[in-house]
Amino acid sequence: MFKELDPILHSQLRLAVMSLLISVKQADFIFIKEKTNATAGNLSVQVQKLKEAGYIDVIKEFKDNYPNTTCKITKKGIQAFEDYVKVLQEYLQVKQP
Amino acid sequence: MSTEKQLTEKESLKLISRTIYQAKGYFYETGISGIIYGFSILICSVLTYLTEKAVISFPFHPFYLFIPVFFVQSFVQLREEKKKKAKTFTDEAIDFVWTGFFLSVLVAFTAVFAGINYMAISIILILTGLATFLTGMLSKFRYHIICSFVCWLLASVSFFVQDARIYLLLAVTALIVWIIPGFILNAVFKKQQHG
Repeated sequence: MFKELDPILHSQLRLAVMSLLISVKQADFIFIKEKTNATAGNLSVQVQKLKEAGYIDVIKEFKDNYPNTTCKITKKGIQAFEDYVKVLQEYLQVKQP
Repeated sequence: MSTEKQLTEKESLKLISRTIYQAKGYFYETGISGIIYGFSILICSVLTYLTEKAVISFPFHPFYLFIPVFFVQSFVQLREEKKKKAKTFTDEAIDFVWTGFFLSVLVAFTAVFAGINYMAISIILILTGLATFLTGMLSKFRYHIICSFVCWLLASVSFFVQDARIYLLLAVTALIVWIIPGFILNAVFKKQQHG
């Protein structure tokens, strides 16, 4: 019996955001936007969903008098991401002949 | 990228590996703080050599000039950190290496108070080699790896040069460890900005 894939992570943009954040210590909103090619509005919504799930921390501050948003993956987020990859691997192992 | 596009398992894995690869390739380094740091060590070393050889006289030890430069360099470094859009784990590891280097150099300077000035420089050369080697390995910058071996060679030579000439070895180290790579990184940075 397979585990369900985490619905929070099983969406293209949220998975891309989590994959970025698992590879770096922290990243600015602009960096994530550039790497994912998402629109600011769409990205904001998805970042908010990840924050509400407790998968990322969002830090809002001022950098050289401009507002700046920094995102960082949490321990819960790392665990969720690892679990997601494990389940994916299980699915793919069964599908391969 | 669409909002809620559902992915197949294969697409998910592809997306994960592609994004991780992209994120790891992020690099932001102007090289300016290395150039400032390198030139200040080079100038202080040459001035100390000339002072010890009585070619010039200086009202205080030339290395005291390094104190204001240290604050300028720290300011430049902080500004650069702010401009980075992301901080990678490699950046963090390299920061730890150089913080450890700086603290070790401070400890090595206690040898000066014990009256063994030149030995302290030899120790600093060994530490510089180590920090450069780790930086090169972490950043996969081959120039730094080669530099570290040159540094260790200079450190070995320095044990046989326990006089004023040791400051010239330190000046050469500043040139190869900070100034030249600083200019290389600056050229790469400018190319990235224009490209």
